Amino acid sequence: MEKGKAPADAAEPAAACAARLAREWSTWAMKNAKVVAHYGFIPLVILVGMRSEPKPSLAQLLSPV
Amino acid sequence: MGSAASAASDAAPPPPSPAQPHGAAPPYGHGLAGILPPKSDGDDKKEEKVDYLNLPCPVPYEEIQREALMSLKPELFEGLRFDFTKMLTQKFALSHSVLMGSLEVPSQSADVIKVPTSQYEFGANFLDPKLMLIGRLMTDGRLNARVKCDLTENLALKINAQLTSEPHYSQGMFNFDYKGTDYRAQFQIGNNAFYGANYIQSVTPNLSMGTEIFWLGQQRKSGIGFNSRYNTDKMVGTLQVASTGIVALSYVQKVSEKVSLATDFMYNHMSRDVTSSVGYDYILRQCRLRGKIDSNGVVAAYLEERLNMGVNFLLSAEIDHPKKNYKFGFGMTVGE
Repeated sequence: MEKGKAPADAAEPAAACAARLAREWSTWAMKNAKVVAHYGFIPLVILVGMRSEPKPSLAQLLSPV
Repeated sequence: MGSAASAASDAAPPPPSPAQPHGAAPPYGHGLAGILPPKSDGDDKKEEKVDYLNLPCPVPYEEIQREALMSLKPELFEGLRFDFTKMLTQKFALSHSVLMGSLEVPSQSADVIKVPTSQYEFGANFLDPKLMLIGRLMTDGRLNARVKCDLTENLALKINAQLTSEPHYSQGMFNFDYKGTDYRAQFQIGNNAFYGANYIQSVTPNLSMGTEIFWLGQQRKSGIGFNSRYNTDKMVGTLQVASTGIVALSYVQKVSEKVSLATDFMYNHMSRDVTSSVGYDYILRQCRLRGKIDSNGVVAAYLEERLNMGVNFLLSAEIDHPKKNYKFGFGMTVGE
């Protein structure tokens, strides 16, 4: 992998290389943030709600009444 | 001013409690002074000099048309709708919502194509004065998330996102709102490199004017818009002009405590499209009835009837005469 990168780095100036890495990392971060938000938002709301006063019980959460 | 129901919530508001009873004892005692009606406070207000350094805070930029939108654009639906909201504590609620009906598929020809669909939506709400979290998850994996957080007393962060399982279809928007003494400023960042900013200022106690600017990165488009809102206790008039070629006017008149009439007009310069609608909004003790008629030949009505404490019955109708599209819906909402 390093051999593949070394000629590419030599062709690119340092600033462009840093910008490319920043863009790739931010895209990776946005993709994973989207997955985390998609799966974790409703559990987060339920967690925050179950901890608020007065604390409801698990039976109250799961019962349909 | 405007509609009596709460303007902050997006869900259909339930009918409010009955109006205050009249018949207080005359404050001036007996005699002629007791028979004559007491001098109203309205005269005092007219003589008060306007304090331009102490103007009220204006309505948020995106909500200047809220009275007109609430009266003229109820949540019309087709088919069966059932909503059940269960409050676990005063701030935390779970909701289950079922919708069985037809969904319109956009088609190239003039025909209207409807596809029968059914969906179940699970929701969780946490409502605190400082933090609001609303999440709605549908059976096809779409998540609708809204977050509103007060970072400081004047600065609020709002996040609005629709996340889907399919790639490239998700949307999100971050808003930073700053509320000053008589102005509001907002900065928006959205997906597809969308940046926007808007500012609204109270010019007199009744008039507020604002401006907005946005930049769409992916399509390299930018736009600027102006709007103004004039409201008194009995009426609200708004005007919006945008560089995308849209001119929109609206006017709402509160005829009495129970009745308001609204009208709006929209002109799109790019597509040479003009639409105007007139509607009414009756807020009675047990029901709320909204109806409107459009210049496109669309007649719509929406009824929310309160059967019992927390149980509402809904009827929705939208008749599009030129396109021969008839949409009727009924439903029930249980829980607050």
